[in-house]
Amino acid sequence: MVNFKVKQALAALTVSVALFAAPVYASDDAAKAAAAAAALAKNIEEGKKLAFSRSEGNCLACHMIQEGTSPGNIGPALIAMKLRYPDRQKLFDKIWGVKETQVPYSMMPLFGRNAILSDDQINKLVDYMYTL
Amino acid sequence: MKKTLLSALALGIAVSFSSQVAAVDPEQSRMDLIEYFKAKTPDRPIEDYINGIYGYDEDRRMQWEAGEEFPPYLDALDEGKAIYDKDLATYQKCFGEDVTKVRASFPRFNEETKKVEVLEQMINQCRKAAGLKEYRNTGQEMAKMSGYLAYEARGERINVELKSEEAKQAFAAGERFYIEPRGQLGLACASCHVYNASRKARSDILSPVIGHNSHFPAWRLNSSRLVTLQGRYTGCQKNMRAAPSPVFGDDYNNVELFTAYMSNGLEINGPSIRQ
Ligand code: HEC
Ligand code: HEC
Repeated sequence: MVNFKVKQALAALTVSVALFAAPVYASDDAAKAAAAAAALAKNIEEGKKLAFSRSEGNCLACHMIQEGTSPGNIGPALIAMKLRYPDRQKLFDKIWGVKETQVPYSMMPLFGRNAILSDDQINKLVDYMYTL
Repeated sequence: MKKTLLSALALGIAVSFSSQVAAVDPEQSRMDLIEYFKAKTPDRPIEDYINGIYGYDEDRRMQWEAGEEFPPYLDALDEGKAIYDKDLATYQKCFGEDVTKVRASFPRFNEETKKVEVLEQMINQCRKAAGLKEYRNTGQEMAKMSGYLAYEARGERINVELKSEEAKQAFAAGERFYIEPRGQLGLACASCHVYNASRKARSDILSPVIGHNSHFPAWRLNSSRLVTLQGRYTGCQKNMRAAPSPVFGDDYNNVELFTAYMSNGLEINGPSIRQ
């Protein structure tokens, strides 16, 4: 329940930022912004694929993720990620498997350290996680 | 230092293995593991661990019990009996006359060769010694015979004895294999079948290690065939993105001995039905 409210608030915030930010700039900048937004949307989509696919991230094996069918419950639900990880680098490091972020005896794979996913792929995952 | 599964888990694998040379106490390990599972799910009696995941999910238990009314593996057992009876005299020489006693005598530690012996491996050794062609280690003929022998042994109990220091060392090696992380995902068998037993990986419930030996081979509903215990190990290692160890090699044989010992006293109820 709390998480849901938080997410609503986050969503409202993003909308209002977009509303204020977009129209003020010249069309050149608008085009650039549109291109960046398109690139981000593509990353998010690819990040989601990585998270759901069994042969790649397979995050669903252990984590509940919204829209994901038959999730596992070995790890915590991946929810309100932007709020919980305002520092993007920290989220990247956790998924990459930086030593300081590790929890003893955790099943969480060291995706970057063990070369399961590339840094580029982890960045896409983080883009996607930020929509959760 | 006395080393048990739980003390090894608690101390951290690196620490306990570097300092671990001293006495192995399998019975203490077994009691500790039972305590661990009792603490995890106090309402589940240990006798029920032979039913794997079904003790964690009432719906799947009901589906399974309904399935057991007309078990899908019965034809395979008939074929297993036929294959066994074809060379009956040979097998009787190796395993004795009483077919209900074969399953429960494996796995065992052979004090002469100082090696662990598992049922399917000894079937092939028996054939080889008699000049017969060996079966594929985890193939269908083998799984069917194993299924037949498990069925005949229903109601017998797992009773692994570790009489010598070497036998205990084989147990300890199996325990080590079970709790050491391996493969790209950095997982250990114990990650799934000890720490996270009862939890879900996707829609798969994770079964407890205690009882793993009681109900094999398992009839897999997804492939409609019997799978042997070490065949299942191979599958799990692939899921862990680890290179599977050889079937009947020391790794798997030690693990089979270790988990069988951990299941001592439990009833044999193979073959079983599993996803
Ligand atoms: C085999 C199980 C498993 C898989 C697969 C897995 N995780 Fe985890 N994950 C865990 C466990 C257990 C924890 C909790 C302990 C910890 O933090 O290490 C965790 C923790 C996390 C955390 C920090 C906890 C939080 O919510 O703040 C993040 C973020 C995370 N996982 C992301 C991912 C992503 C992204 C993937 C896929 C690319 C993934 N996980 C795949 C088991 C897994
Ligand atoms: C990533 C999780 C994971 C790891 C690690 C893992 N397994 Fe499994 N294992 C499963 C799942 C899921 C099943 C099917 C559900 C069940 O019965 O537990 C299974 C089933 C089994 C079964 C059959 C249980 C039954 O009642 O039918 C055995 C035996 C087994 N695993 C042994 C092992 C061994 C030995 C290892 C280590 C080499 C291992 N597993 C590592 C997930 C895992």
